[in-house]
Amino acid sequence: MRRTISLYLRFISIQLRSQMQFRASFWLDVFTTGLLNFSYFVSTYLVLERIGNIAGWSIAELAFLYGMIEVSFGTMDMIFSGFDPDVFSRFIRLGALDQVLLRPVNVLAQIFGSAFVLRRIGRITQGAVVLGFAFAHLGVHWTPLKLLYLPVVMASQVAAMGALFMAGSTLSFWTLQRVEAINVVTYGGVEVMSYPSTIYPRWLRGFFTYLIPFVFMNYYPALFFLDKPDPLGMPGFAPFLAPLAAGLMLFVTLRFWRFGLSRYQSTGT
Amino acid sequence: MNMRLFFHVLKLAVLQQTTYRTALIAGLVTNFFFGLFRAAVITALYHQQGQINGLTLEGAITYVAIGQAMISFLFLFGSYDLMMTVYNGSIATDLIRPMPLFSLWLAKDFGAALVNLLMRGVLLLFFFGLFYKVALPPRAADWLLTALSLLLGWLVSFAWRFLVNLTSFWTPDARGIGRGAFIFSQLLSGFLIPLRLYPDWFARICHLTPFPAMFNTGMEVYLGAVRGAELWRSLGIQAVWFAALAGACFAMMRAGVRRLVIQGG
Repeated sequence: MRRTISLYLRFISIQLRSQMQFRASFWLDVFTTGLLNFSYFVSTYLVLERIGNIAGWSIAELAFLYGMIEVSFGTMDMIFSGFDPDVFSRFIRLGALDQVLLRPVNVLAQIFGSAFVLRRIGRITQGAVVLGFAFAHLGVHWTPLKLLYLPVVMASQVAAMGALFMAGSTLSFWTLQRVEAINVVTYGGVEVMSYPSTIYPRWLRGFFTYLIPFVFMNYYPALFFLDKPDPLGMPGFAPFLAPLAAGLMLFVTLRFWRFGLSRYQSTGT
Repeated sequence: MNMRLFFHVLKLAVLQQTTYRTALIAGLVTNFFFGLFRAAVITALYHQQGQINGLTLEGAITYVAIGQAMISFLFLFGSYDLMMTVYNGSIATDLIRPMPLFSLWLAKDFGAALVNLLMRGVLLLFFFGLFYKVALPPRAADWLLTALSLLLGWLVSFAWRFLVNLTSFWTPDARGIGRGAFIFSQLLSGFLIPLRLYPDWFARICHLTPFPAMFNTGMEVYLGAVRGAELWRSLGIQAVWFAALAGACFAMMRAGVRRLVIQGG
């Protein structure tokens, strides 16, 4: 285990060094990806300047939802770069997975270490800026429980979305292509989670509650942090289901991953 | 410009684009679901209000749905094909072809855009119509004028993307520049949010730029929000923006082609 971790850290440090070779283009990338994502928030902000609120959520409250999920998604997208379905399906097609399987090193550590897209800090930073804006304007009534639970929620979000990345990658054991439909739940999931769940039609809310439990990842925790009532009438412990739901998603995905890997047949390239 | 050559390249581009049918359908699915998510946001924004700044809820949902349908026709997320040919060296062959670089890419782009419009755009709207009521232009003439306006919108979009891609003649970082530049095609064109829903001061800023001519104008024509003389003026503005951007492309190409260093090959 110790050896696996130290190897993983080595893989990452190689990744970072190579990405920092071209300093200027690296920072340009960080800046433009940050700005691109920030423009999505800006457009919502501007509309709310005219309209006031959305489903009873002020712009600062929306900023909380948005900032949380953006920081988590950016972090996940960085850590799980190797499991990005786009990246991993190419990995399979090029036969690179064969090399991975032949080395006497933990497979997961190698794939986690095969990519680490550092420029995602642009997205993380803009999410943090929006989150800072939210905290500055909200006057959250902090309690020790809330302070302790905030990092747990973010870690759960990272794990839950990472699980979907892994599941999407696992599918390419069979398809060999990237399965673009997975974007609907990954990138689409981020979009859905950055707004209050009540705005979505019933069937969509049901999908993101019972099939992919994203409603417990951001919306319910936000109700707890911001002391907002729950119009959907879930039990009172709903805001605290985030780590449980994330753990479950990760568990199921790892099983699926192991099953997929055992069925893997090389592309022969 | 040699029209026969133009149509030949166009035909090749159509064939190339139709080859990747599964990719087209996969893209369609993603665009469609995002359309549903965004329609939910728009519905919540309206919150019982019949109309906002002259745009009805049905109009706004139609606007968003057509925006999703047009992503691949107008390439609203940008395109990076020309700069790739600079970096992999194949632009060297393109430059000695008996066709100006601008028309060559115009034909290629139009071929891909047409396929995307018919296979992704129209299908997406059809499926979207099963979930939401999509407004239709009232008169037959409006259909024609919308088609004209969208065509002009594609031209503006093409010239803008060509211009951004030309930065690759000077810098190896054109991809980063593009990622920054194409933000405007989403934020200021009305794609992210119909321009009428923005505060007036911001909408005014948008209208000083070429970006509303890419998409917002076409939608205003479609929804019948501009009529008569104002309509012709809107179409004129689109044409002027295309001419101005194309002029900038030619000026930049003249300046850049002499100092272009072909890499690789």
